Amino acid sequence: MVELVPNLLRQEMARLAEQDARIDGRGQFEGREISLETDCLYNAEGSAKVTMGKTVVYAGVKFEIRTPWPDRPSEGSLMCGAELRPVAHRKYEPGPPSPESIELGRVVDRGIRESGCIDMNSLCIIPGEKVWGVMIDIHVLSDGGNIFDACGLAAIAALRTAVVPAERFDVGDDYTLSVNGTPIMASFTRVGGRYVYDPCEEEELGGDERIHITIGDEGHLHSLQKGLRGVFTPQEFAEIFEVAQTKCAELRKIVAKKEAN
Amino acid sequence: MGGYGDVQLLRDDGLRLDGRKLDESRPVTIQAGILPAADGSAMVTHGLNVAVAAVYGPMEAHPRKIQRQDRAVIDVRYNMAPFSTSDRIRPGFNRRSREISKVTAEALESVVLVERFPRSKIRVEIEILAAEAGTRCAGITAASVALADAGIPMRDMIVGVASGKIEDTVVLDLDKAEDNYGQADLPAGILPNTGEIAFLQMDGDLSPEEFDLAMEYNFKAAKEIHEIMVDALKARYEGGDN
Repeated sequence: MVELVPNLLRQEMARLAEQDARIDGRGQFEGREISLETDCLYNAEGSAKVTMGKTVVYAGVKFEIRTPWPDRPSEGSLMCGAELRPVAHRKYEPGPPSPESIELGRVVDRGIRESGCIDMNSLCIIPGEKVWGVMIDIHVLSDGGNIFDACGLAAIAALRTAVVPAERFDVGDDYTLSVNGTPIMASFTRVGGRYVYDPCEEEELGGDERIHITIGDEGHLHSLQKGLRGVFTPQEFAEIFEVAQTKCAELRKIVAKKEAN
Repeated sequence: MGGYGDVQLLRDDGLRLDGRKLDESRPVTIQAGILPAADGSAMVTHGLNVAVAAVYGPMEAHPRKIQRQDRAVIDVRYNMAPFSTSDRIRPGFNRRSREISKVTAEALESVVLVERFPRSKIRVEIEILAAEAGTRCAGITAASVALADAGIPMRDMIVGVASGKIEDTVVLDLDKAEDNYGQADLPAGILPNTGEIAFLQMDGDLSPEEFDLAMEYNFKAAKEIHEIMVDALKARYEGGDN
């Protein structure tokens, strides 16, 4: 479905930006309230629910046993996919995975994979014969803006609670998956000419390009993605990168706090 | 039905493996209005099942060929999340989900006052997040509450319930083991106010007497769950800030 972007909304966004204001009253780099639940779904080996404003996202982790790739006989695999099903918004239609959902899944996948938080060799059962395939499926239930950050957070939180179901597959005792790190994504959208953190639905509708930054525990970059039509300057990136460092550290604390309980 | 037959599902004290009585349902919780992007929504937990429903519309029906001149069409999609079952499900429709979607849509079209919205479409999206036998019933219950939450006029809500047979004994609300190793399953969609049935399926083996008892259990459960549905809607609109 093609979204009609009313010029009035874009004009209003520009007017608000001039006054350093946002349509929902937040500051330029102020995020919405976040709630995180983990281990909330029977049958998923790890699960998480993230609510950010009007956005609601679930992630679930499943395991399968597969034959390793011939050139990497002792490495398991990790796959992260996202579904933007019609449940999430009236703009989503049924059918094969859309380019948007593929991008979403791949950006989250890269952030987790490239952070190295999963040691692929630790997923080996019998070298050359049996390895674990880890699958993170992300299910967006309500798209109220910035589903990227919500999906990234749900995915890593679910992964960090995952228990390897070895007993069910008859290859030993169940054990907690070893995850060494908490990569976190922070997303920015140009609204009214400037970047804002954690855009809401109206800001995405009346805004321009977006930038997604995934940062690991050490403050290193692990994935970047620029999406939609628009350009930005290195100075603009430097500013939001600095904000992203702070935001990712805060979100990492939310995950740690949940795990400590 | 699995029909393995030799698996013990009733304990020596006559109760079921999880301690339930023969006519006892698993615990049910319902929340209305949980998905802000939707026009109406609900989450139902029934035992370990988790079903979520979102309603969009009434909206323009497109493509045009699906339009009905005299009424709205109800477009239902029942879908199981990849992580909802023991073995991961590959995303996408399969024969089972298509059939459930079809009969659920037909059940809902029997209660929604569709003639009020000619040429339009009402979208009902049912997502199963966790499955432990009985997901289609939890989905119907969730869809009914979501439709009411969306303000869509209905003659009655439909309550999804099921009874079945294990060890030659009729029981209410089969859990996963009972579904796998039992002898019959009888899911029904009941209109608690009118006493009518809008949805019915069955597989396995039931005598006419056993069918009557199973339906009696279903009506009893529908009454109980209906109260929880009404409470969820009342809780949603208490305070009047919605």
